[in-house]
Amino acid sequence: MFTKPLTFQSRSTMRTRRKLSGLYGHEAQHKVRRAMNYALLTIVALLMAFPFIWMVITTLKSSGNIFSLPPMLIPDKLFQPDMFSSYATLFEEHNFARYTLNSFWVALMAAIGQLIASSLAGFAFARLEFRGKNLLFGLLLATALIPVEVTIIPEYLLAIRVFDPIMKALGGAWIDTFNPLIVPSFFVGTTGTFLLREFFRTLPRELEEAAVIDGATVFQIYSRIYVPLSLPAMTTLFLLAFINNWNALLRAVIYIKSPENRTLPIGLTTFQNEYTAQWDLLLAGSVVTILPLIVIYIFAQRYIVEGIATTGLKS
Amino acid sequence: MHYSRITPYLFIMPMIIGLIVFRFGPILASFLISFTEWRGTVPPEFVGLGNYEELLNSSIFWEVLINTFEFALMFVPLTMILGLALALLVNQKLRGIAFFRGMYYLPAITSMVAVALVWNWIFTARFGILNHVLRTYFGVSSPPNWLADSDTALLVLVIVSVWKSAGLPMLIYLAGLKGIPSHLYEAARIDGANGWQQFRYITLPMLTPITFFVLIITIFDAFGTFEVTFAMTGGGPLYSSSTLPFYIYQNAFNFFRYGFSSALAYVLMLIVVIITLINFRYRDRWVQRDVY
Repeated sequence: MFTKPLTFQSRSTMRTRRKLSGLYGHEAQHKVRRAMNYALLTIVALLMAFPFIWMVITTLKSSGNIFSLPPMLIPDKLFQPDMFSSYATLFEEHNFARYTLNSFWVALMAAIGQLIASSLAGFAFARLEFRGKNLLFGLLLATALIPVEVTIIPEYLLAIRVFDPIMKALGGAWIDTFNPLIVPSFFVGTTGTFLLREFFRTLPRELEEAAVIDGATVFQIYSRIYVPLSLPAMTTLFLLAFINNWNALLRAVIYIKSPENRTLPIGLTTFQNEYTAQWDLLLAGSVVTILPLIVIYIFAQRYIVEGIATTGLKS
Repeated sequence: MHYSRITPYLFIMPMIIGLIVFRFGPILASFLISFTEWRGTVPPEFVGLGNYEELLNSSIFWEVLINTFEFALMFVPLTMILGLALALLVNQKLRGIAFFRGMYYLPAITSMVAVALVWNWIFTARFGILNHVLRTYFGVSSPPNWLADSDTALLVLVIVSVWKSAGLPMLIYLAGLKGIPSHLYEAARIDGANGWQQFRYITLPMLTPITFFVLIITIFDAFGTFEVTFAMTGGGPLYSSSTLPFYIYQNAFNFFRYGFSSALAYVLMLIVVIITLINFRYRDRWVQRDVY
């Protein structure tokens, strides 16, 4: 009577013990694997971020130490009173405050333009019926795949022959102003139209009904129902457009002539040609160009990353 | 909702104007301009296929064209592989994974001019940190001159472009990975498939529609590369790192040859269109249908 349960018990304890040790082993293994994952993630992150790190380090060196070999890894001006002197030079002697302001204005206005144009078109494509709808939408997507090199030459010729004279007659100008950097955004936006169309289509149509009964016009339905409800998508679009226009180079290179109208990318390019090899100054310019976007990115990563993933996937 | 027939057109009016003024008009115009000799302020003159003849006989054009394809052949696979690798890395349920995803995407949101500067500095032959590391830790006695050498300049542009462009494929692949149903992996594990086999026989096939899309946009990127060339090499030394988009820009806005550069632009467009069509033609050979 005793032996049987005993053996049974001992067997079962053995089994439990084995199971437990297996479990512990598993958990230890799990921990090691997780640590290795983090290590790998960190190494890759350091590799991807190295140019940014090296950029900042270089700006914190005094000019005499930039070309030292082996390269100085801990910058000599770190935590010294003159730590940010290359940045100060940039703003005091090289007009970077002006460039930053210009970039901000251009990016802001262009992003607003994208919001207006894309939400109007996106609403029509999502909710209204009209002849040629699919054809137009198809053309909008298809022409986005035409290289900008094909369209930029006629656009420039149009600008100098038509837009500029017209604007001059009206007391303004087109060439060497922010207009060519901003105005196109008020008219075409493939990504934006696509993104907002997709978003508007997810909103339930019942939302319109009450408004329709109250006699709201189509424009009121758009502006009072659809626009407020699509704030997350609008935020994403605004941020993407802001970033794109902040970084935009081609049109700025072509249209901007006078120094006081330069945006950051073009200001940095001319600066590079004038101050070759003054790496502390040049890279301080890079940091100034990049930093505002990094700040925006840190606070709004969710909108940016998710917005890109969804537009990317759906198209 | 009731509305008159013209109401929808009012909503899309800006876009229609934009399409005409900034897309169709220019596409048609540059086609016509490509048949003219149009230099700077001298009025254009019809020359028929003259510009196309000229470019076919120009050794610089062929060099630039070959560079364009070389660039694409390196850039496209490298960007796609790095994008997928990064996506696999951040497709884990770990605390703080959003931080890493953010770090990997960071290059994609920054200004090319700004990052080109630091890459220029890293690749500087004598004082750059890269060659210092190569000399000191890898025993390379005479490391390449990188940007100053016509054999390596294009390669540097590829490296920088891949680093900057891999973020978008990463995000798209990541979304694709999250869409693969987990029961497939469970079934495979029960059948005893190891990690590599699961990747090879589930992940890759399930991702083929995503891969197809990433391929299309990466090719488009490759044949549109301008900023990195503009900011880092200016196409040099000589034309060794010049690719078509940059050469078009140079001809139009440095040499003011509008006719010739429009012809170049049409060649570029033709190349992109043909490659895209080929891709769609052979899609069914390797892209899984209805995987979800």
